[in-house]
Amino acid sequence: MKFDVIIIGGGLAGMTAATALQEAGLRCAIVAEGLSLQNAPRRGFSAAGGTLLAGDRVVSGRFAGDRLVAVRTEKLGDVELEAENFVLATGKYFSRGLVADMDKVYEPLFGLDVEYDEDRSKWFDPSFAAPQKFLEFGVKCEGGKAVKDGKAIANLYPAGEVLAGVTSAQGDATEAIVKSAVEAVNAIWRK
Amino acid sequence: MPVKNEFDVIIIGGGITGAGTARDCAMRGLKVLLIERQDIATGATGRNHGLLHSGARYAVKDSESAEECIRENKILRRIAANCVEDTGGLFITLPEDADSGFGLDYQATFLEACNKAGIEARAISPREAIEMEPSVNPTLIGAVVVPDGSVDPFRLCSANVTDAVLHGAKVLAYTEFLDFIREGDTILGVKVLDTRSGETAEYRAPVTVNAAGIWGHGVAEKAGVHIGMYPAKGALLVFGHRVNNVVINRCRKSADGDILVPGDSVTVIGTTSTKVPFEECDHMEVTPDEVRLLLREGCALCPALASTRILRAYAGVRPLVADDSDPTGRSISRGIVCLDHETRDGVKGFVSITGGKLMTYRLMAELATDAVCRKLGVSKGCTTAETPLPGSMNGRIESVSKRFEGKPTAGQKGAAGRQGDMVSKITFETEADKQLVCECENVTLAEIKYAVRELGVRNLGDLRRRTRVGMGTCQGTLCIRRAAKALAEALGQPELADKLAADYLDERWKGMRAVGWGDTLREMEFMQRVYKYEKPYSYDEV
Repeated sequence: MKFDVIIIGGGLAGMTAATALQEAGLRCAIVAEGLSLQNAPRRGFSAAGGTLLAGDRVVSGRFAGDRLVAVRTEKLGDVELEAENFVLATGKYFSRGLVADMDKVYEPLFGLDVEYDEDRSKWFDPSFAAPQKFLEFGVKCEGGKAVKDGKAIANLYPAGEVLAGVTSAQGDATEAIVKSAVEAVNAIWRK
Repeated sequence: MPVKNEFDVIIIGGGITGAGTARDCAMRGLKVLLIERQDIATGATGRNHGLLHSGARYAVKDSESAEECIRENKILRRIAANCVEDTGGLFITLPEDADSGFGLDYQATFLEACNKAGIEARAISPREAIEMEPSVNPTLIGAVVVPDGSVDPFRLCSANVTDAVLHGAKVLAYTEFLDFIREGDTILGVKVLDTRSGETAEYRAPVTVNAAGIWGHGVAEKAGVHIGMYPAKGALLVFGHRVNNVVINRCRKSADGDILVPGDSVTVIGTTSTKVPFEECDHMEVTPDEVRLLLREGCALCPALASTRILRAYAGVRPLVADDSDPTGRSISRGIVCLDHETRDGVKGFVSITGGKLMTYRLMAELATDAVCRKLGVSKGCTTAETPLPGSMNGRIESVSKRFEGKPTAGQKGAAGRQGDMVSKITFETEADKQLVCECENVTLAEIKYAVRELGVRNLGDLRRRTRVGMGTCQGTLCIRRAAKALAEALGQPELADKLAADYLDERWKGMRAVGWGDTLREMEFMQRVYKYEKPYSYDEV
C-alpha cells in the first residue's frame, strides 16, 4: 500500500495536518491509537477519502539513505505502509511519543535524535506549580525535518508536542501545536 | 509566657515510641503531655516498610532481637488486630546466593536459629513457594515460611495517641521543643513553640522523656548530655499496585533491598542503609543510585517489579545508637536503649528512650514508662501487652462492617478496615457523607469529617496518614482538590482549600521526582496536565 503522506498520531497536530493534506488532494493515511481521534475531524478526513487505521500503532520504520520509506504497524504485521512523506505527531510521554528511562529520553518508533538534559536532576522543579523542564524535551528538528544520528530525514516532519519546546501540559499550547502542523503541511505541499 | 505545671511526665516526640510511651504512662494513671513538632508519625515511624517482623531476619546474628520481635509480633496481633495484616512471609534462597555462601546450608542454620528463638519456621519446596506466592522469583532453590505480616504504622501510631488521650493525656502536635527549663542538675520542664501561631509556652513536670528518634540526639544535647547517635538513612520504593500478597525476604545475611512488603493497595521494597549527617535528617531525598539498587534487588525477589509502575520513593532515618560500653563509639547497638540520665550523667528528671524498631515500640514504651514510674514512686505495672488499642477492641474487620444497616458501601467497608471499631463514630448522615472523595482508597466525606473531629487532622498530609486519602495509585491526582475542599470546610476554614492542595501536590511531587522516568513520568505529565489551566493556588494569596 502506498500513500502520499502517512500521519502517525491522531491528536490536535496529527488531525490538523491530515485533514489539510487530504482535503488538498493528497492520499493520506492516519495511524492512531487511543481516544485522541475526535469525531468531527475524523468524519471530515474520512469523507474526503482518507484512510484511517484507528486503534493501531506504528512499531518501526524502514529507512533508505536520508528517507523514511515505509512503516510497519502492530496490527498489519509484515505488511508495510509506504509513503512519500510522513508526519510524526505522537505527542509526549503520556502518549508514548517520547519514552524516558533512568538515563535518557528517546523517541521509540524511529530512534530520532531528542533534545533533553542528560542531568536528570535538572528535569524537575521541586515546586509542582513551577515550569518543569522535562516537558520541554522533544525530537530535534532541522528545517522542519526530523533528525536521526545527526542527519536530517528528508521526508519526516514532526508536529505538535513531540517537538522540543512544545507542551500543552502547563497551559494552552493550541497555537504552537497548530502552527507546527501547518508548517509540516506547507513543507509537504511545496514539494 | 504562661507557665503550666499540671503534668507528671512530658514526652518529646510523636512517633510510635512517644505515642506508645504516652499511652503506657496514661494507662498507669500519670498526667501526660506529649509534644510533637509536626504531625504524629512523620519521622521514621511513617517512613519504613510497614513490616510486622517475625524476627527471622535477626535470628542468626542477634537472637535477642529475634526473640523480642516474635514476642511483640504475637502481642501486636492481639492488641492491634486492626493495624496488622497476617500475610505470612517467605525467606527465599536464589541460585546466586549459593555462590556467595548463603545456599541451602545457610537455610538449615537459619531454620535452626529461628526455631531456637521461638519463631515458627518451616522449609517448603520451590514449587510450594510459587503456589503460595505466584509473583516470587521462579528460579528460587528453597524457601522458608515464617510468621511475618504487614502493619500500618500510621494507624498504629494514631491508635496509641487516641488511647493516650482517652486515658487523659494531652497531645500537642505542631509544637516544637525549644529548650529545657532547668534548675541546677534537675530538668523541670520544657519550653516549646507553637509552630502555627508562633507563640511560645512552658510546661513543667517532674520527669521528661526524650522519644524524639534521631532528633533525640539534639534534644539530649540541650540537656547537656551526649548520646552517640548515627543517622542511618533507609530509602524505599512504593509500587503502583499490590504485586505480592506474602512478604518476600532474601534468606541471607541482611543486605540492602531484600524485603518486599505488601500493604493495603501497594507493595513496598526496601531498604538501603547509609550514614548521613544530622543536617540532612529533615531533608531526605532518594538518590538515583539508591533507586537503581532497590530496583535491582527488588527484581531478584519478584521479577514483575521490572515492569510495574513506581508510585514514589521515600526515605527515613533510623536512630542508631553507639554502645555505651564501647569507648570508641564505633560499635552500634541495634537493640533498645533506655537511658536514665540521673544515673548515667547526673541529670535528674530526664529519661531517653531510643534505638529499637517499630516492631518493639511497645516494649520500648514499657521500659521508658517503668523508668518514669521508678522516678515518681508509682508502682502500677504495665498492661499494654494485654489491652487492645482503639479500633482493635472488637475483633476482626468482618464483624465490624456488619454493623452498618443494610449492605455496607465500598466507603463504609474501607472505613471499617482503616478505623476498626472506631468506625461506629463515623456518621453517615446524608447521601453526601457516603460519597467517595478518594476513589483509590475508598475514603468517604464522612470519614474525613470524623478524622478532623476525632483524630486532630489539620492538613492533607495529616489526613493521608489517618485515612489513606491520596495514597493510592493516582497519588491524589484526581481527588486532591475535592479532598482539600472537604477538609477545609470540615476545619471551618474554606479559604484554606487551595493552600492545602498546593502543599500536598508539592509533597507528592517530591516522591515522584526521585523515580521520574518510564510510566511514572507519564503519570507526572498527566498530573501537570490535569492542573494546567488553573494551578490550584497562588502563594501570594495565602
